[in-house]
Amino acid sequence: MLLYALKRLIQGLITVWFIATATFLAMHAVPGDPLSGAKAMTPEIRKNLEAKYGLDKPVSQQYLIYMGNLAHGDLGISFTQKNREVNDIIREHFPVSATLGIMAVVFAGLGGTLFGALTALYRNKWPDTVIMIAVILGISVPSFVFAAFAQLAMVKINGAIGFSLLPVAGWGSVSHIIMPSLVLGLGTMAYLTRLMRSSMLEIISSDYIRTANAKGLPPTRIFMKHEMRNAVMPVVTVLGPAIAAITTGSFVVELVFAIPGLGRYFVQAVQQLDYTVIMGTTVFFGAFLVLMVILVDLLYGFIDPRVRVS
Amino acid sequence: MTQNTSVTDEPPLLEVKDLKVEFDTYGGSVQAVRGVSFSVEEGKTLAIVGESGCGKSVTVQTLMGLVPMPPGRLKSGTATLRGRNILGTSQIDGQDFRGSEIGMIFQDPMTSLNPTMTIGRQIAEPLEVHRGWSHKKAFSRAIELLEMARIPEAEQRAKQYPFEFSGGMLQRAMIAMAIACEPAILIADEPTTALDVTIQAQVLDLMGDLQQDHGTAIILITHDLGVVARMADEVAVMYAGQIVERGSVDDIFYRSAHPYTVGLRAAMPSNDPSARRSLIPIEGSPPDLFSPPTGCAYAARCPYAMKICSTSEPPPFVVGQDHFGKCWLHHEEVAGGWEKILSGAPTLLTGAKMARASSPLAENKS
Ligand SMILES: Nc1ncnc2c1ncn2[C@@H]1O[C@H](COP(=O)(O)OP(=O)(O)OP(=O)(O)O)[C@@H](O)[C@H]1O
Ligand code: SF4
Ligand SMILES: [Mg+2]
Repeated sequence: MLLYALKRLIQGLITVWFIATATFLAMHAVPGDPLSGAKAMTPEIRKNLEAKYGLDKPVSQQYLIYMGNLAHGDLGISFTQKNREVNDIIREHFPVSATLGIMAVVFAGLGGTLFGALTALYRNKWPDTVIMIAVILGISVPSFVFAAFAQLAMVKINGAIGFSLLPVAGWGSVSHIIMPSLVLGLGTMAYLTRLMRSSMLEIISSDYIRTANAKGLPPTRIFMKHEMRNAVMPVVTVLGPAIAAITTGSFVVELVFAIPGLGRYFVQAVQQLDYTVIMGTTVFFGAFLVLMVILVDLLYGFIDPRVRVS
Repeated sequence: MTQNTSVTDEPPLLEVKDLKVEFDTYGGSVQAVRGVSFSVEEGKTLAIVGESGCGKSVTVQTLMGLVPMPPGRLKSGTATLRGRNILGTSQIDGQDFRGSEIGMIFQDPMTSLNPTMTIGRQIAEPLEVHRGWSHKKAFSRAIELLEMARIPEAEQRAKQYPFEFSGGMLQRAMIAMAIACEPAILIADEPTTALDVTIQAQVLDLMGDLQQDHGTAIILITHDLGVVARMADEVAVMYAGQIVERGSVDDIFYRSAHPYTVGLRAAMPSNDPSARRSLIPIEGSPPDLFSPPTGCAYAARCPYAMKICSTSEPPPFVVGQDHFGKCWLHHEEVAGGWEKILSGAPTLLTGAKMARASSPLAENKS
């Protein structure tokens, strides 16, 4: 198991290196550079700036410098925000994104397993129908639409009851987290519900549930100890990609709800072609996702004895 | 029918009467079980044999409340365990009789155990539920049960998961689980079909020995007449959802009272080299259970079919002590009917002319 974890970690590092290289190359393939957006600029100033940021060197050399810094954990300095280190930006804004993301994953995971199990138990009865219609909506409607509707609804509700039940936007208190993380987790929750439903249905009709019944076990025990444990397995396997989906979704949701997360900075940086910020955040997000996938794999190994033992 | 009229207050251990089960499907309703009656005595083995799809599993699974309803539907019948009803309920006196009074094992041990729970825990479960034992006590009993099932290194094995066991070991563990609460009856639905031939004997021996030690009655479902010969006291031969012959194991092998039983025997592989003969599978296929024939269900395949066979259903003719055959050949008007049945495999597909061509019992085929 330990060896396996180590192997996965090394694989992860290689993946991150690929991500970094790909981002670097993509950045330099895009027409224009961070300085071209600036206002009037004499060739001399431009030269000076290029020299300062190392843009005058050949691309291969820039790559080596970049990789060298990356290896030390130095992501460089922002082009557009005077002398601000990318590391600082991440340190300051990532916790916000992480809080939002973790809450969204928790909502999606709990909601997905719960609703999925419910639909399977009430197969073809009204709870199943209602939830499955909601699932189709959740999967097909993009999150910014939900975000807008949620805000609108909250404005109306707050107006109707005369005080602020939940804030419509912004960041700072626990109540600020609830609505955006629900909106952010909704699509994933819908997807997990569908997955959990089919998984549960398969298990309900499996041979070993028949055995459990033949042993005369009470239904609650069969549900908790035999059905849930096995049905949740496929949900855990897709938790890695689910976290990725939520992370990418957070860029939009942070914008709509005016949340000072890293996603918003990323979008801003792309618009301004802020090389270092784009590369820094991309590599950081990439590394974060790789780590999550590894953790999920290890978690899966922990709950599935077939993986754990072999 | 001459009944065994000895006066006993004691009801039979398990008594099933006129059980009828249907499945509602889009194509209509499948009459899977069409009036099955049998009883099981303490400490005895009843074998239920018959071709695939004849309703063996549905019969026993209905008793255990394991048939999903819907699509299944109980049309009629009663089933009593020591005189107490068990049909349509899983409770006797508020206690689940499954796992405590009747244990059951299944055909495929590989899929019949929970893949994410240790073998020991799964064996311990019925003890926790039915006897209220603690986790620990039940688990140490599970280890003893595994030892009883001849699993080596039971203590380590109890902590392992099903995928770490071989098929034969899993089936033995299943047996240990099914008898954990020392039930009066063990139902085994084709317990050896999925196993290697060499392993089959181990599992059957284990069942036989446990029966000796604990006096457990066994209902053994199988296609394999070799298994029947080895294990059974009583045999019920099923065809198209009905029991067409019922008798002692000797009755079935030496005094078959139904052409289908003879057909099954002819199709049975023999491992006695001196009697090695080619298998003669029964020609044709069982009737459509959506609309079973009005007469004898076997008529379409029976070499002796008579006119009456396709129009009215034969009653169970009692031909001996606790031995009946559902076949018109036992009717008193048919001369030498039973001899015809017993003439057996060689003439099975040729048939023979009837004595009285004008009677309703005259042969159908020219
Ligand atoms: N859930 C179901 N829905 C519809 N038909 C069913 C269902 N379960 C069983 N049947 C039908 O009931 C009949 C009897 O099935 P059963 O499983 O009892 O046969 P069996 O004698 O045990 O056969 P085998 O030897 O293959 O196990 C079959 O014709 C089958 O198609
Ligand atoms: S002789 Fe008639 S009743 Fe007897 S098995 Fe053949 S078809 Fe059925
Ligand atoms: Mg069967």
